[in-house]
Amino acid sequence: MIKRQRRLWTIGFISIPLVVYTIIVVAPLFYSFFYSLTDWNGLSSDFNFVGFKNFAKVFSDPLFANAIKNTVIWTVVAITAPTLAGLTLALILREGIRGANIYKSLFYLPIALSLAVIGQIWIWIYQPRWGLLNVALEAIGLESATRAWLADPQTALISVIAAWSWQQVGLSMVIFLAGLTSISPELTEAAQIDGANYWQSLRYVIIPLLRPASIVVVALAVINSLKSFDIVFTMTKGGPFHSSDTLAMFMYNESFKKYYMGYGSAIAVVLFLIALVVIALYFRQVKAVEQLYD
Amino acid sequence: MTESLDSAQQPTPEKRKKRNWGAMALLYVVLTAIVIVYSMPGIGVLITSVKTNEEIAKDGLWSLPEEFRLSNYQEAWTNGNLKTYTINSILVTIPGAFASIALGLLLGYVFSKLPFRGSNALFIFVVAGMFYPPQIVLIPLFRLFNAVGLYDTLWPMIIVHTAFGIPICTLIMRNFFATVPNALREAAIIDGANEGQILRKIMLPLSLPALAVLATLQFTWIWNDFLWPLIFTQSDSVRTIMIGIVAMRGQYSVAWGVQGAMSVIASLPTLLIFIFLQRYFIRGLTLGSVKG
Repeated sequence: MIKRQRRLWTIGFISIPLVVYTIIVVAPLFYSFFYSLTDWNGLSSDFNFVGFKNFAKVFSDPLFANAIKNTVIWTVVAITAPTLAGLTLALILREGIRGANIYKSLFYLPIALSLAVIGQIWIWIYQPRWGLLNVALEAIGLESATRAWLADPQTALISVIAAWSWQQVGLSMVIFLAGLTSISPELTEAAQIDGANYWQSLRYVIIPLLRPASIVVVALAVINSLKSFDIVFTMTKGGPFHSSDTLAMFMYNESFKKYYMGYGSAIAVVLFLIALVVIALYFRQVKAVEQLYD
Repeated sequence: MTESLDSAQQPTPEKRKKRNWGAMALLYVVLTAIVIVYSMPGIGVLITSVKTNEEIAKDGLWSLPEEFRLSNYQEAWTNGNLKTYTINSILVTIPGAFASIALGLLLGYVFSKLPFRGSNALFIFVVAGMFYPPQIVLIPLFRLFNAVGLYDTLWPMIIVHTAFGIPICTLIMRNFFATVPNALREAAIIDGANEGQILRKIMLPLSLPALAVLATLQFTWIWNDFLWPLIFTQSDSVRTIMIGIVAMRGQYSVAWGVQGAMSVIASLPTLLIFIFLQRYFIRGLTLGSVKG
């Protein structure tokens, strides 16, 4: 009796959330597979099946290869620069510094900002004539290094990634600080008593214990790289000459600017497969970490 | 049980030995220098927003203003549709945050306190949605909302934010309920309460701190969103604020001060949350990631 009642309540509790999640998040995935086999143009109601033509195009399209290359560059920068900066700041701020909370807040602040706003702010920084970057370069006598950062195909991508990293530093710092608070001070003290200097205790005690936090930071960086769209859209729209196209940006342009929805769906499917690999690797790592610390 | 949520900023342990005074001073100088450089973009937008066009043309973006003017804010707020965008963002953000948290609460509660066969697999299936690049489903959702006649209204954003918020809300609520002792539930059952009453009268009041964490997170994400309104709206009257300020940029392409003011106005709600509820916000970021 009670068991049956409990089952009814359970069904009642989970049905609405699961229905919403399935309709909006899960089912469309299958439709993406479906559309990727068509030549749908997004506007007309009918379309033809074209088999795997769109996928053949994906793998022969130099612009797709370009978007993949840019996304890989983005990912490589994302898992190194903001991660190391966040780790360094977390280690410094852990050292019982007075006013640490104010410093922390200032580094966290960009997380609360929209990437659309961050893009806007950094457009000013890169502004050729009186943008902060060129002004600063001139001030230290490096006029030759000044340029139109976002209009130059050689620097557009890295400039957008730098703007994005500004926010990402705060995020990795949050996670590393959380990871550091879970390391008992006795451990580092014990290492010091055994004669280890700061760098040795960092290398052999703290860094290994930060493994779970590092996995989370790296996984987030990879996933956020795959998602990178808002800031690209606001700063360069993928240009000039596709030099800052990411996979997400390229998919948007093909689907919603050119209305090649069939082709766009094929790109979405490839994006999904990449995300799937990342998610699988992440959950495997998390499992390994949990086993390690149980 | 609230212990884990209330200790948002754990003090660093007081165990430091006396250390080299010079090294410490150097550390402060370096750290302060880093903070100043790091804050420059934010400082720059604030300065720009209180300068006139003439001042900017004469001295550039980064010089200090001659006097503190709010005329750019006035201009941004009264000319153009910033007011409409703001109202639209509120109309999307509040229901979207509320619904995603309510649905996540239900799922998280079941996964923690009413497990059934296969519920763990289902939990992973739901939480995996956190890692999902939304581009994967843009086209089908675009078609869906067109087909049901909701394209170019605020509804698609509310619905999509509700659904895409379920993974993080479920994760945080499940981890929260895992810290609530089962004895509470059992005692209530013996007293004759049904599951609905237990959830409403016992669990809901207990979970207020976790709900506050989620409220700050969801509000911030939804308010700052850019992608969904870009896909699902067309008319100016249904634009949300982040899309709106990017659209208005064309109109004010050389009025840097007004652009700055628009950015500040658009960021104000999430900044206020960040300033006053930072504890919850940061707690949410760590809970949502570290325990994933």
